[in-house]
Amino acid sequence: MEATPLNNSDFSSRLIGWRIRLELWRRNLIDLFVNLKKHPLALVGGVVLLIYLITSLLAPVITKTDPNLGDLHVRLTPPVWQEGGSWDYPLGTDAQGRDILTRILFGGRVSLAIGFLSVGISALVGTILGALCGYYRGWLDNIVSRFADLLLAFPYLVFAIGMMAFLGPGFGNLIVALTFKSWVEFFRLVRGTMMSEKTQEYVEAAKVSGQNTFAIIVEEIFPNIFNSVFVLATLRMGFLIIMEASLSFLGLGLPAKIPAWGSMVAVGRDHLLVAWWISTLPGIAILILVLAINLFGEGLRDILDPRLKVE
Amino acid sequence: MNAPLLQIRNMTTVYPTKHGHVKAVNAINLTLEKGKMLGLVGESGCGKSTVLLSILGLIRAPGQVAEGEVLFKGHDMREASRNDLRTIRGKEISMIFQDPQTTLNPVFPVGEQIRETLRLHNMLGNSRIPWPFNRETSRKEREQVLKVMSEVGIPSPDNRYASFPHQFSGGMQQRALIAIALSCNPALLLADEPTTALDVTIQAQILDLMRQINQEHHTAIILVTHDLGVAAEFCDSIAVMYAGRIVERGSVEQVVENPQHPYTRGLLACRPKITVPKEAVAPIPGNVPDLADLPDSCPFAPRCPMAKEICNDGPVPQIETEAGHFSRCLAHYDFQREIDWTWADRIEIDLHSSKARI
Amino acid sequence: MRFVKILERILIMIPIVLGVAIIVFLFMRLMPGDPVDIMMGQGGSVSLGEIEKLREEFNLDKPLYVQLGIFLGDLLHGDLGNSYVQKRPVDEIIMGRLPATIELAIGGLIVSLLIAFPIGIISAVKQNSWVDRISMAGAFLGISMPGFWFGIVLLLLFAVNLHWLPVQGRIDNSAALQQVTGFYVLDSLITGNRAALGSSIKHLILPSITLGAPMAAVIARVLRSSMLETLRADYVTLARAKGATEFNVVIKHALRNALIPTITVVGLQVGVLLGGNMIVETIFGWPGLGRTVVSAIFDRDFPLVQGSVMIYAFIFVVTNLIVDIVYTYLNPKIQM
Repeated sequence: MEATPLNNSDFSSRLIGWRIRLELWRRNLIDLFVNLKKHPLALVGGVVLLIYLITSLLAPVITKTDPNLGDLHVRLTPPVWQEGGSWDYPLGTDAQGRDILTRILFGGRVSLAIGFLSVGISALVGTILGALCGYYRGWLDNIVSRFADLLLAFPYLVFAIGMMAFLGPGFGNLIVALTFKSWVEFFRLVRGTMMSEKTQEYVEAAKVSGQNTFAIIVEEIFPNIFNSVFVLATLRMGFLIIMEASLSFLGLGLPAKIPAWGSMVAVGRDHLLVAWWISTLPGIAILILVLAINLFGEGLRDILDPRLKVE
Repeated sequence: MNAPLLQIRNMTTVYPTKHGHVKAVNAINLTLEKGKMLGLVGESGCGKSTVLLSILGLIRAPGQVAEGEVLFKGHDMREASRNDLRTIRGKEISMIFQDPQTTLNPVFPVGEQIRETLRLHNMLGNSRIPWPFNRETSRKEREQVLKVMSEVGIPSPDNRYASFPHQFSGGMQQRALIAIALSCNPALLLADEPTTALDVTIQAQILDLMRQINQEHHTAIILVTHDLGVAAEFCDSIAVMYAGRIVERGSVEQVVENPQHPYTRGLLACRPKITVPKEAVAPIPGNVPDLADLPDSCPFAPRCPMAKEICNDGPVPQIETEAGHFSRCLAHYDFQREIDWTWADRIEIDLHSSKARI
Repeated sequence: MRFVKILERILIMIPIVLGVAIIVFLFMRLMPGDPVDIMMGQGGSVSLGEIEKLREEFNLDKPLYVQLGIFLGDLLHGDLGNSYVQKRPVDEIIMGRLPATIELAIGGLIVSLLIAFPIGIISAVKQNSWVDRISMAGAFLGISMPGFWFGIVLLLLFAVNLHWLPVQGRIDNSAALQQVTGFYVLDSLITGNRAALGSSIKHLILPSITLGAPMAAVIARVLRSSMLETLRADYVTLARAKGATEFNVVIKHALRNALIPTITVVGLQVGVLLGGNMIVETIFGWPGLGRTVVSAIFDRDFPLVQGSVMIYAFIFVVTNLIVDIVYTYLNPKIQM
């Protein structure tokens, strides 16, 4: 966008071009919402996701309780609908008397943050690398593709566990472990699309009219790729959230003092006989979130890019 | 007089769609004698393929054959049980399709696909006996397959037996399909535009092959094509279809030399002739009507150069202008219409009487 | 000709395995913290001399590329080093625990295929029927569900509350199974030990379902969608026109073609199998490689972790190779 204008008319015509694009984008977005209404399930998914986002952000406001402070007097209290439960602890308490509902809400922050961040970073890295390799090919493509193939030799969880083992617990480490394999999918998608789009006629037309390569990639080809990337991102987010929870479950995620759904399920194992809710309820929170994301993602895919159908 | 091999009376096939019920085939009548070739001619989408599928009961739900009789060797196919149908399919009536590329199963060797027809009908022995007790039958089946393959003109069948469809050329694939259809020596062969997907030179070969089959095995053939010229050259009788209706049928001489229906005449007129250079080809003006929105009157009226008001009033019965030559056009009846006429009626007229109009 | 191509593929595996080894090695050497210090955290205080001796023993005093060379050299001899904690060769430990993991993996695979195939096929044949809708809803749930939670719920229901199935372990010790191969089900068949057979199978059920159900969800969806395509194909109409029975048409003609894209997905799911193993083994106390890896991580027993990760990667690569070979048999258009 910041190409030096050769002369005034060139600059203003490009500006107009961008305004047109923006307008088309706006119309696309409106189209999207109209289409969403035709997919009620996707709409439900989107709404639930929104609820999760809002409640996580407002968690400290919603519950005044500290998620890490437990009152041993009320340990192992059942949820409110069971005998012995109370509205003070609607979803019960764990072995240390910590309120489960509060911990679930705070755990949501972790999962959502990690989910968005890891998907975002994977998408970014994968898209950039994919675009460059797909367009220019050559030695860059060779190296990166080989590396990607090598990464694919590892089963996902094994790799993530291995990385967490070596890096140690921590927020940043977790993100690295999750994104390290995840960018490959975006890479392949973008690279493949780039290679086929490159040969299309509109690219030839742009080259002939004198646009420089970077402009071509960003302005012409990218809008076509964006939809697919966006759909893929939504569809993978649920997977990454489950991965994070699995790592937390094994104790390899965040440090123990940060409440995370996976570790909540893990700790609850010791009390399965007497307190089923400690393990089960956080898992249901995960299930509903991922379900919502997947519903939303599938609806989005039907609208934006049916080509991605058979994964 | 021998009963005809195939007699279709008043058959209608319907597909329910979002836009209403589509009568892909609308009250048609056809007759085919043993060992004869019938050409079913019409534009794309007029329902020709549906006729063939309907005969074999291959219309997929929610479509169905809503009305009519399909008498094969005297028995109504519509009344037949599923088992009976399966016995007839492939053995007494076979079908070949338009695009051999997609019609052959890509994962099985070609020879095996031909052999499958023999096995399904236990033609050379009981195929259900498992290996190794069926070796004799397998051997005979393989021999038969090779025989059929060379008959349809596949060179070195022994090598080709184990080849896969994608290793064959288009013409070869179509021959393989014909081999599949022929393997049990059926009495009737339904050919759905067998040459449309092929090169022109191959087309001629395939059609010659079909004529050969017709003459040597006395296999009756229904040849569906959009090319009236092809039908004229190879078939004994012709039926012309338009928008799901058969508008004219008769022997090939009758239809080609003395076409009765305006549509047929239009088709004959729009063929470019080599002998008359620089003559403008006269196409039939207008478009094919929407099958979901058909009126209960002559479907060709909107495009017909001779049409009158009365043509839009109601059903046009089959009018027999000469023995065995039928046409659905009010012009033959002097543009008169009896009030109680239905599509199922057959009216005889005398060409030379005052009521006749050509 | 085909044999040569298979050999080619096997040869290509070698650089991949090599690359895997190098990556694993690099990670271990580049991670923060000194291994010796971490090892020292095991015992009491030791003298400086002892530390130096340990460093030498583990080659940590030599430059990186020399270490890499030693590492790869050892690898070629099948020497994966010694465990820091257990003080015995890593490959010995791994081989001891591997049969349990493989048995579980096979169980999971069988469960997933047994569920996925009937569902996938029937849903496609009876598209939009209630069977189809319920199955696809179930499959959707299956792909959204965290595996570890599913295992715990199963455990809660069937073992803890209903007492139908055992909670932990591979077998009741009272069955006194004599081990031949390390695969308990096989061994009980070989030694004719009925009690052991029943016990080992009972212990396999819940873990296999936990492992197999999420896989089944993915496979069922893919199978259904490819079946829908093949059932609409022209060759299916031809098969009917030949007089084939519906069963014949669906299974022999449609399914056989639908398997082609499905098998690729199954291959990918094997990765899930290997990874999910760790979780399932942890939940059900299954004495396999997965659990070993997890505890090795907490013990900071790096040679063991490193060796196990490599074995996992190796198995994955081999399995993918097998899937590729099967694929070429399924799809005659691809000749490798």
